[in-house]
Amino acid sequence: MGESFTPIKDIRQGQKNLNIMFIVLDIGTATKTRDGHDVRSVKVADKTGSINISIWDEVGELLQSGDICRLTKGYANVWKNCLTLYTGKSGEVTKVGEFCMNFSEMPNMSEPKPEFSQQGKVRTI
Amino acid sequence: MEQTNKVPQSRLIATSVLESKDDLNERLEKCYNTVNNILNGLSEREANDALNSYVCRGAPQHEEVQLGLLYSILVDPKAAAKTYRDLSLVSRDALSLVQTRTNQLIFEKWLKLLDNVRSQIIWLCKELIKSGVAGAEVVCHNLLRQIAGGDISPKNVWLTEALLDVLVESRPWLDKFPSLMSNVVFTYLRVIVDHNGQVYANLRQREVDFCISLLREKWSDCQAIGRDLVRLLQNVARIPEFDRLWKDIMLSPSSLSPTFTAGVQQLMQTRTSRKFLITRLTPDMESKLVFLITKVKFGQHKRYQDWFQRQYLSTPESQSLRCDLIRYICAVFHPPNELLCSEIIPRWAVIGWLLTTCTSNVAATNAKLALFYDWLFFDPERDSIMNIEPAILVMFHSIRPHPAITATLLDFLCRIMPNFCLPLQAQVRNGIFTSLKIILEKRVLQSLSPLFDNVKLDTELRNLIRENFSEFCSPEVVKEDVVNNKEVIDLDTDNHLDNNLSDAAFSDEEDDIPLDKIRQDNKFQPIRDTRYQPINLDEYLEQLGGGDIQKYTEELRDEKDQEIQCEVMDRLLQMMLREDEFDQDLAVPLSACLCQILSTQFNNNLFPQELDEESLEESVGSPLYVMFRFLTTIPEEDPNRIPILTLLGEMYTRQARIGYHLLYFIKVGKVNDEKMNTYRDFCKSLDNKDLESCLISDLKLCQEDDVRLFTFLVPDIYTNFSNIAIGNAELLQMIVSAIDGTQLQELICQILQGHLIMFRKDSFLSVLNASLDWETLEQYFLWQLIAAHNIPVDYVMPVLPKLDFTSHAEALSSILVLLKQECPSPDLIRPVLCRECKRTDYFAVSILKYWAQEYEDKLAELILSQVTKLNGTPKKRQRTSSSKKDNVSVEQILGHLDHMRQVCKNISFLNNENIQHALQSVQQSASESLKSKFSDLLALADDIESDYKSTRVLRGLPVRKAASASAAMGLDGRTSRKNNKKNVQEESSSETESSEDEEIKPKAKRRKKVTLSADASSSLPIKPEETSRRDGELIWAEDKFDVAPISGVPEEHIKGRLVRIYVPTKNAMQSGVYGTRRWKIEFDTRERWENPLMGWTSSGDPLSNLNCEFNSKEDAITFVEKNGWKYYVEERKEMKQLRKSYGANFSWNKRTRTSTK
Repeated sequence: MGESFTPIKDIRQGQKNLNIMFIVLDIGTATKTRDGHDVRSVKVADKTGSINISIWDEVGELLQSGDICRLTKGYANVWKNCLTLYTGKSGEVTKVGEFCMNFSEMPNMSEPKPEFSQQGKVRTI
Repeated sequence: MEQTNKVPQSRLIATSVLESKDDLNERLEKCYNTVNNILNGLSEREANDALNSYVCRGAPQHEEVQLGLLYSILVDPKAAAKTYRDLSLVSRDALSLVQTRTNQLIFEKWLKLLDNVRSQIIWLCKELIKSGVAGAEVVCHNLLRQIAGGDISPKNVWLTEALLDVLVESRPWLDKFPSLMSNVVFTYLRVIVDHNGQVYANLRQREVDFCISLLREKWSDCQAIGRDLVRLLQNVARIPEFDRLWKDIMLSPSSLSPTFTAGVQQLMQTRTSRKFLITRLTPDMESKLVFLITKVKFGQHKRYQDWFQRQYLSTPESQSLRCDLIRYICAVFHPPNELLCSEIIPRWAVIGWLLTTCTSNVAATNAKLALFYDWLFFDPERDSIMNIEPAILVMFHSIRPHPAITATLLDFLCRIMPNFCLPLQAQVRNGIFTSLKIILEKRVLQSLSPLFDNVKLDTELRNLIRENFSEFCSPEVVKEDVVNNKEVIDLDTDNHLDNNLSDAAFSDEEDDIPLDKIRQDNKFQPIRDTRYQPINLDEYLEQLGGGDIQKYTEELRDEKDQEIQCEVMDRLLQMMLREDEFDQDLAVPLSACLCQILSTQFNNNLFPQELDEESLEESVGSPLYVMFRFLTTIPEEDPNRIPILTLLGEMYTRQARIGYHLLYFIKVGKVNDEKMNTYRDFCKSLDNKDLESCLISDLKLCQEDDVRLFTFLVPDIYTNFSNIAIGNAELLQMIVSAIDGTQLQELICQILQGHLIMFRKDSFLSVLNASLDWETLEQYFLWQLIAAHNIPVDYVMPVLPKLDFTSHAEALSSILVLLKQECPSPDLIRPVLCRECKRTDYFAVSILKYWAQEYEDKLAELILSQVTKLNGTPKKRQRTSSSKKDNVSVEQILGHLDHMRQVCKNISFLNNENIQHALQSVQQSASESLKSKFSDLLALADDIESDYKSTRVLRGLPVRKAASASAAMGLDGRTSRKNNKKNVQEESSSETESSEDEEIKPKAKRRKKVTLSADASSSLPIKPEETSRRDGELIWAEDKFDVAPISGVPEEHIKGRLVRIYVPTKNAMQSGVYGTRRWKIEFDTRERWENPLMGWTSSGDPLSNLNCEFNSKEDAITFVEKNGWKYYVEERKEMKQLRKSYGANFSWNKRTRTSTK
């Protein structure tokens, strides 16, 4: 395939238009937003590291751990001190396979880092 | 988020928001649309023509039409028949393109295909078979592979049934493809076991009939499957049809096929081709499993295994799939070398996982069989080592983390040998043995002993292994075992122990043996009786003279029941006493007979494993103890004792064990013999032995026979025979050489409870000296016992001069530990310093350094006192005293200090004032040769000395002021020092409180008096030596005794003067605070006047110029109070630091529009 994927370890806060191929490791329980959407925090990984991605609604229900998925047009931002991946406006998550992908859980890019909060403050002033 | 609603629905595969259509699907759909456009509105004939002409345009168009029609067949069942006809008409490649795509769909997308598409594929397959298209068997084979084992989900059952229909229908066609046919048999035989529920009865019957007909009619094709056919047939053997088939296979193999003559053996010797084993994994399973064993690193496999388990192994019926997986791993997937060397999860680990997660017993057994299947008839010519390797490795590697796995596998291996197939027992054994040999030969494992002789396996299993694999067990184990077994038979005892854990089992794999197992092992050591010579009983029986004694003796010999034996023994003894002339002549043969009859009891393990009342009582229940009891119950003066003692004495010469048995009996037999007098009497009755030698030899024997018993007896021996035992080095060595940790613990417990005292002061040193030649461990045990006894270190110290650092390491290190816990004292330090100072002897250095850390002052003081003592004594006395052995010489002290200096870096101890003084005094008094020898060390003292002087000069300034001030007032401040060295000595001598320096003290006092009187001032108790010790203290007043009345100061300068005690303020011009560190006093101002002569200001107040500094407020107050002045204290003013920021000057709150400064 011609398209290139960003390795998870290279994801940084504020990056946009990310194409990432990952394998699903853990799926968190759904939380409902005020307007009735289900949001799940899903831990995904590729061979360079792992990160949490926020998955909305039906896709989250269908996703199973072990699924290999492709994310198009995602972006990364910090939420509650954790670097988190989101699907962009016209982006999507599609399942392309299962099981047969190597991954590494370390480094976990979504480890909470207090410096994110400080950075945030600096920016708001 | 935006993904919903816009997903195009596929008619081929199940799609969702997550999974959209794929390329193949879209391609087919596009072609379908093209074809539809061509056919739109045309009649059948026209349509055909149109298609044909379109196809004629070229290969791409041909493909387009083919795929379009295929899609149409798959999604439109109604028109399928017509479409298929069109398809075959326009096809120019005998439908190969269509078949390729169909195969692709089956292979890659089967799980996702919609139900109607699946049934259309089956239909297509049937049509292909019907029209005899070449390649239909491939499609059929691919469908066959999709039948998953261990899966009774409706879809899978449907596929099984649908395909069965197709195959039954086209039996004649199937017969033409033997390879497909055998695959069909293999597949359906496999899935029959899954369909054992009532709902599947019909399906199963059809499967059974189909398989049986294929097997019976085409046996020669089926037998090509090989050994796995037997495995599958075994699984279904309970079904009547297969039962009959089995009978034929066993009894008349040739009735199935003329070439099938050797029956099961023939099948078992044929290795099953990989293609059969592969069929039993669906492509999806296979790709995942292969990914797991080729790509996943060991350590990261957990999630993959969970995923695989979730998908394929979670249901109860799926347990049967494990066999297929294991067979695949063992026989199909053989990793190349580079994979073996990599970090990828090894095959055995995957198999271990499959085995451990198995939930059903039947499936587990089948899985084990699958694992060992290639072992049973292993033939190095035909079979690969890779087939048998996982089994041995999984056993080998599991032994530590999961010993249960290894145990169950070994157990299985042992049991499968005889049980696999009765007639072929020998061949199976041979196969397994060959496998093991090849494993060793190819060095898969270096040795089987870590596996077969591992103590982690329980005894029963290890026996089983030894029985079955004696030739693979290490020889000594086998030998030992034989010995043990023989003994077990010989002894025929009731409290005999499991002794299979023989010593030899501890080979190199000893490190992770659970401790309790070792202990258990130590409990029993097979007794090899070399001391007792068996005799011919009859010979001696004859000598008994035929009376009742002989009768009872024979009775005793023939009786097996212990209780009756005891009774007989009792009667025998009674008889013996009644016999008037029981003498030596009778005693000799009788003792011989008894020894022979009771010989088993001596060999017997006397001491019970569990120590409780009952077991102890039971242990003294044998006839031998009847004799002892008899003896103890007779009062001491009774003449009846003599014959018994004679008899026992005779027996003792034959069987020396009687001695310690008697001791044991006295201890546990509840006889009223606190002091063990019976034993004393017994020894006395012996001709040529005294109590001590008897006791020692008995204990020695006991120690050799049973250490636990020995340890059990030890406290009593020490209590009752204290004169002999305490201080007996031989006995002590016997103890420490035999005991292990448990027994040491037992002894120490006894010691702490006060039941055991092993040392006495007078004999302690001799024991200690004797111990110096013992083995290391023995010595350490001894020191443990010593430590348990609370023996003062002083007792140990005399041995110190004898100890050499290298050859008596045990004793020296133990003493070091003892000394470490003590505080240095003159008595302790002397022997330490007395040790000859050698460069390689770190004893003195170590303990001195340790003490220097912990008790620096104390140690320094002690050393100083030692030095001053030596220096202080006149030469003559020194000479006389040096003849005394434990007196230290200056040279030794210096030697140790110098050694310390060299060994320990940055040692501050040598800078300790007392040490410095000691060195200085040596400097003064020592001979030139000594000085030159320790020039480095003494130079250290010089350095410090000069430092010391310079600081004194600096600090001397305020002192002098104060002194002059007080002198002016008639007070005695302190004398400034003229002779520093003198003062140093003075200080040290008055400070050290040890008794040794009595001689110097008066001298110092005298000198002090002289200096004081020279100043002709009153005796203000100021201690000049203290001031020098406490850094920077200027005036020191010890107590608040009022000196005002006697100081001679005019009253006007005492009463009515007010003193201000204060700290000088910081210099406002500079930021340093050094000037504010001390407290000062200042007096109220008195009248001042202008001196008319010069115009200067004058005052008549002598105190106005007093400038006195103190280290603390309290010192100042004490001083002032002592002089009877009133005073007030101005407390030190703490500086407050304001936090200032330049930026604050500009800070501005926008909202309130105020400065936020």
